[in-house]
Amino acid sequence: MTTDVSGVMRPVATANGLPNDHYVDERIFLEERDAVLYNNWSGIAVAADVPEKGDAKPIEFLGMPLLLIRDKDGDVRVFQNTCRHRGMILVSEPKKIEGAIRCPYHSWCYSTKGDLVATPHVGGPGMNTHKDMPRSELGLYEVPSYIWLGVVYVNASGNAAPFEEIHAELLERWKEFDVPLYHGGEDSKFELDVNTNWKLAVENYCESYHLPWVHPGLNSYSRLEDHYNIEEYGRYSGQGTLVYRQLTGQEGETFPDFPNLSDKWDTGGEYITVYPNVLLGVQRDHAFAIILEPKAVDKTVEHVHLFYAEPKVDEALRAKNATQWKTVFIEDIFVVEGMQKGRYGRGFDGGRFSPAMDGPTHCFHDWVANQVTSHRQQLAAE
Amino acid sequence: MSELQTRLLSAHEKDDREGLIALYTEAADQSNDMIERSFFLTHAFVFALEAGDMRAPLLHDRLREMGRI
Repeated sequence: MTTDVSGVMRPVATANGLPNDHYVDERIFLEERDAVLYNNWSGIAVAADVPEKGDAKPIEFLGMPLLLIRDKDGDVRVFQNTCRHRGMILVSEPKKIEGAIRCPYHSWCYSTKGDLVATPHVGGPGMNTHKDMPRSELGLYEVPSYIWLGVVYVNASGNAAPFEEIHAELLERWKEFDVPLYHGGEDSKFELDVNTNWKLAVENYCESYHLPWVHPGLNSYSRLEDHYNIEEYGRYSGQGTLVYRQLTGQEGETFPDFPNLSDKWDTGGEYITVYPNVLLGVQRDHAFAIILEPKAVDKTVEHVHLFYAEPKVDEALRAKNATQWKTVFIEDIFVVEGMQKGRYGRGFDGGRFSPAMDGPTHCFHDWVANQVTSHRQQLAAE
Repeated sequence: MSELQTRLLSAHEKDDREGLIALYTEAADQSNDMIERSFFLTHAFVFALEAGDMRAPLLHDRLREMGRI
């Protein structure tokens, strides 16, 4: 199974979108799993999922069993959630690791740093060592991970260049937000189950073209002409606004600002996709992340998290903010689900892009097409 | 079934980690057979290790002195 993506990589004015099979075919979904999601730095969680030392959370990422853990020194790590002995799943539900991770099968034990620390009866009853079982070589497989703006990214294949190298320009663009971000807690996260391919959520997020039609409530203060495109081919894309307005409470209270921001952010906000699957938004007083979890070719879970400049911000205002964003994100669901249905139209050629308005979306298509092409070339060369 | 075995099974059934550490240690202390003793000590050690219990290093030392770890 292959597709012709050459038309995607033409200049935006003449390009077509990715072919239908990239949205409806299980085989292409699995190809993109490897070529796009495993080969790059994909978001899988937020660091706030494991707030304390020893906290562990199993995560299944496109079928790959992972274990998110905060080790005894406070560092967040990601391991394969698989015992090096017989391949048993080690942790099946979120829990606190008080001392060691014990496999429920034969009780091999691992430290929170992944070291194999006990192999009971491995040399026979009551004999806990064996010359052919070197513990130092049998620690958990660690998956390269990186935390940025509260989100935990992993490179499942282990082959990507370092996160800070691949995303150097984006890190520089948003360096003012590289400060402690505080997750708002239970009332500042929610999930949306959406019947769509994960890429359609990215595509919709990247552009402002749809805002006046899909989010008419934003029109009163955030007009189309107040937005600008962000399109860095081969790197990232999204949109920005010039008229971000702070949320206010009944007494006129606002959230505290992130420290030392430049004037640009007084009324500015930017909304960028960290390719492939993390949608980030930053404003002067809060940030958010939407981690897209592809569940199937036509099913995606959107994990939404809101972050603030201080650990404790006004509870009522926090709830109001979460409700406001949830309303906006729910307004987008009929669009991404509608585009998914539209992709079953056999004559559809991937569609065209407005050169003026759809650059950020084409930027993403172009990046995906390049990832897939590179992967195919690599496989062909092997 | 001995009274100790009954208590051990009960601790397993209740997932009483504290009890398992103590009972397997007790079982080891009652045994005169080196292999049996190291078997029980291993179980006590593993449950202590998992729980981050302060007895884990002591149990480890006992197994090491027996050449079992």
